[in-house]
Amino acid sequence: MNENLFASFAAPSMMGLPIVVLIVMFPSVLFPTPSRLINNRLISIQQWLIQLTSKQMLAIHNQKGQTWALMLMSLILFISSTNLLGLLPHSFTPTTQLSMNLGMAIPLWAGTVITGFRYKTKASLAHFLPQGTPLPLIPMLVVIETISLLIQPMALAVRLTANITAGHLLIHLIGGATLALINISATTAFITFIILILLTILEFAVALIQAYVFTLLVSLYLHDNT
Amino acid sequence: MASPVPVKEKKLMEVKLGELPGWILMQDFTPKGIAGAFQRGYYRYYNKYINVKKGGFAGISMVLAAYVLFNHCHSYKELKHERLRKYH
Repeated sequence: MNENLFASFAAPSMMGLPIVVLIVMFPSVLFPTPSRLINNRLISIQQWLIQLTSKQMLAIHNQKGQTWALMLMSLILFISSTNLLGLLPHSFTPTTQLSMNLGMAIPLWAGTVITGFRYKTKASLAHFLPQGTPLPLIPMLVVIETISLLIQPMALAVRLTANITAGHLLIHLIGGATLALINISATTAFITFIILILLTILEFAVALIQAYVFTLLVSLYLHDNT
Repeated sequence: MASPVPVKEKKLMEVKLGELPGWILMQDFTPKGIAGAFQRGYYRYYNKYINVKKGGFAGISMVLAAYVLFNHCHSYKELKHERLRKYH
């Protein structure tokens, strides 16, 4: 039972070839390129959703921050589609792998920090000291602010990994419990099944929310630095 | 058995059974040929089910079902231990 629980999180490979690359590229098949003014229904729905999200997300940025529009929109699209596809049975979710989330979080966070240091050096350094701190507290507070800055990419990556992995694990466990309880007591199995349904609804929400949070935080870091 | 159209250019349904091994061997197995085959297959599916005026849910749900089936086949080795059996 123990090995079975975590086997679904192992990176899939077919005869030694890593097909995880194919699985990471699979969501792009579901987003066709619009080629006309008025497209088919799938593309129209996706265009409407992307316009809705991008207007909401880019409203807080100035001219310089809005150059990141493509990056932020493709980020939220990728994470939400990957998370939602992971809710299908037996599928592999790339965002459960810490390596992948670190690969997304560190370059984006580093990009925002480096942009801030290049174009607004004084303001970026000023972030390390909140306004109105009493004089004796300054050294300690600078250290604390530095640590909180350096922990941002780690927090981004680990938050996404932990949330999605925990959700998948819970679904596996409660599903297994429901199956095991059917022979023992039907009412308990039914209650567990209701819990499973509620959990699945939660997982749909979490899939979308985590994508949103990731992108929102990156855009917040960007806003600080542009 | 000489047919007026050369065997290589016929589509699969028009190839006679006796010519089948020859037809398979004459197909284009270079990377460019395989990529072309994937592209043709993709556009055949796309233009039939999705790129239509009133496409429905069936277009993407067939793709998702094929994805689920693919993952099921791939993880069958671990899944067969979880069948409902008295003795495993």
